[in-house]
Amino acid sequence: MVKTADAVEAEIREIFSNNSPWVTIVWDDPVNLQSYVTYVFMELFGYSKAKATELMLQVHNEGKAVVSTGGREEMEHDVARLHEYGLWATIQRGDQAI
Amino acid sequence: MAASDGFKRHGEHSYLIQFDESEKDVLINLCEQIIELLAERVDHGHEDPLAALVGITSHDSPPDDEVLHRLLPNAYADQVDAAEFRRYTESTLRGKKQAHAISIRMALKSSPEGDVELDHDSANAWLGGLNDIRLALGVRLKIEDNNYEHLELLTPDDPMRGVYAVYSWLGWLQESLLEALMSEVD
Repeated sequence: MVKTADAVEAEIREIFSNNSPWVTIVWDDPVNLQSYVTYVFMELFGYSKAKATELMLQVHNEGKAVVSTGGREEMEHDVARLHEYGLWATIQRGDQAI
Repeated sequence: MAASDGFKRHGEHSYLIQFDESEKDVLINLCEQIIELLAERVDHGHEDPLAALVGITSHDSPPDDEVLHRLLPNAYADQVDAAEFRRYTESTLRGKKQAHAISIRMALKSSPEGDVELDHDSANAWLGGLNDIRLALGVRLKIEDNNYEHLELLTPDDPMRGVYAVYSWLGWLQESLLEALMSEVD
């Protein structure tokens, strides 16, 4: 397929823009208490108790959950804080399979 | 003196607990071990003093020790990204975790009667510090999934049985603080 100049330009802009989203993932850990994981999500991200509980259950039942999305630097900040509180968290590009 | 019956909320941002002598000693001892464990790695000599001053370290590999590896995990699956992130952040993370343990130790050391009162921020430091101790003990106890059978079957003379008892007590203590904290968020 021949791309129009506009489409190519848009693609290049996308590559150089810093907006391609990254995600912070929290992984299940048998030591961390469920109530603790919920509390940390509320404290660090300002999530409601309902949202924090839902994410905690997703981590517990599915082994992992995306807890925040944004620029790479923001995600590195989030992961550093999650590590400070002992949650097992990693960063990756949002378009990569988790 | 009666053994502690957990944290209780007292007023809007105050959480109270009464420890007995042996509980205090156990907690202080565990905090001191964590503080020591988290002390800076001394790597093969060529640390750049200026880089060290701003928290950049020359090491970028994950710690060999299994407990330290759990406390200071990789932030990326990709080894190159993980190493880069670690070089710029591990020193800060060690310091923050040490600060949590130091906060617990200080509160206990400065309370001859074993009574401790926490505000919201110090409660968070306690939660983080207690959690690090539980993570460390969890590695030693080989708690890898939600199966505790191998621990329930420990014989009374097995030293790991004592470690498991402490691990369980810390979980209960942490839960009581969480209940006290969450009771005001509801």
